[in-house]
Amino acid sequence: MKQEETFDPQESMQVISSMIITAKNKLAEDGFSLIFWGWLVTISALVHYFTILLNIDYGYFVWPVLMPLGGIVSAYIGYKQGKKKKVKTYIDTYLSYLWIGFGVALAITLIFMPSHGIKTTYFFLMVLYGIATLVSGGILNFKPLVIGSVCSFACAAISVFLEDREQLLIIAIALLCSYIIPGHMLRSKFKSQNV
Amino acid sequence: MFKDLDPILHSQLRLAVISLLVSVKEAEFTYLKEHTQSTAGNLSVQIQKLKDAGYIEIEKKFKDNYPQTLCRITNEGLQAFEIYFKNIQAYLKPKK
Repeated sequence: MKQEETFDPQESMQVISSMIITAKNKLAEDGFSLIFWGWLVTISALVHYFTILLNIDYGYFVWPVLMPLGGIVSAYIGYKQGKKKKVKTYIDTYLSYLWIGFGVALAITLIFMPSHGIKTTYFFLMVLYGIATLVSGGILNFKPLVIGSVCSFACAAISVFLEDREQLLIIAIALLCSYIIPGHMLRSKFKSQNV
Repeated sequence: MFKDLDPILHSQLRLAVISLLVSVKEAEFTYLKEHTQSTAGNLSVQIQKLKDAGYIEIEKKFKDNYPQTLCRITNEGLQAFEIYFKNIQAYLKPKK
């Protein structure tokens, strides 16, 4: 950094703009959670679907086994990443509130699944995926997430006309469009800016 | 020469620190050091000056048994930055 006596207004502007660009241009998200949860839920849904198709009992056990396990792994990795972070942006704060809200809404929907049935639950899950990815896409200014959210909303609407078993397939499609594909794209963008 | 400019902010390193803090919620000392490419000694003197002026808050904690210094801009700092920015713009505007 230069000494104060040689510092003129033109240079002031350069310092301000270069520092603001430095802080703003860093992509806040690496897409890990989207990829992790996208694949985990998609695999669970497909395993459940094929166990029903092949008349294998207790296929639904994939959910109470994999979801808490995913929660533990995700919380551990989130904690580790949080420790490494040297800066906390407003985007980080907005996203964390959004995903906490999403997690709570998801938990409430799943807890009360017996009272409102599988079909309504799956419908709400896809609507929730859509809301969370739409807002994330808006905050991060990342179009694939916005497009994915539209796909998730469409899947939710289509699911109303399907049988319970097929709902598992439509959930997998919703996750592929709103989590997995945008998640991988986000990750490659994140990696390219950190090379 | 530049009488209207806040002397606290009209220093390249202090201005760089404030400009970084305007865009984030909070930043570690090491982040500021990395992005301003300054030395630890100089940066620590300058952030202390910003703190004394009430422009930033400094929080000292421990993270994994190592000291951690977190910096945040205050409302006063934000206002001072806005005024400074307007004044700089006025200087740069071609005179009619």
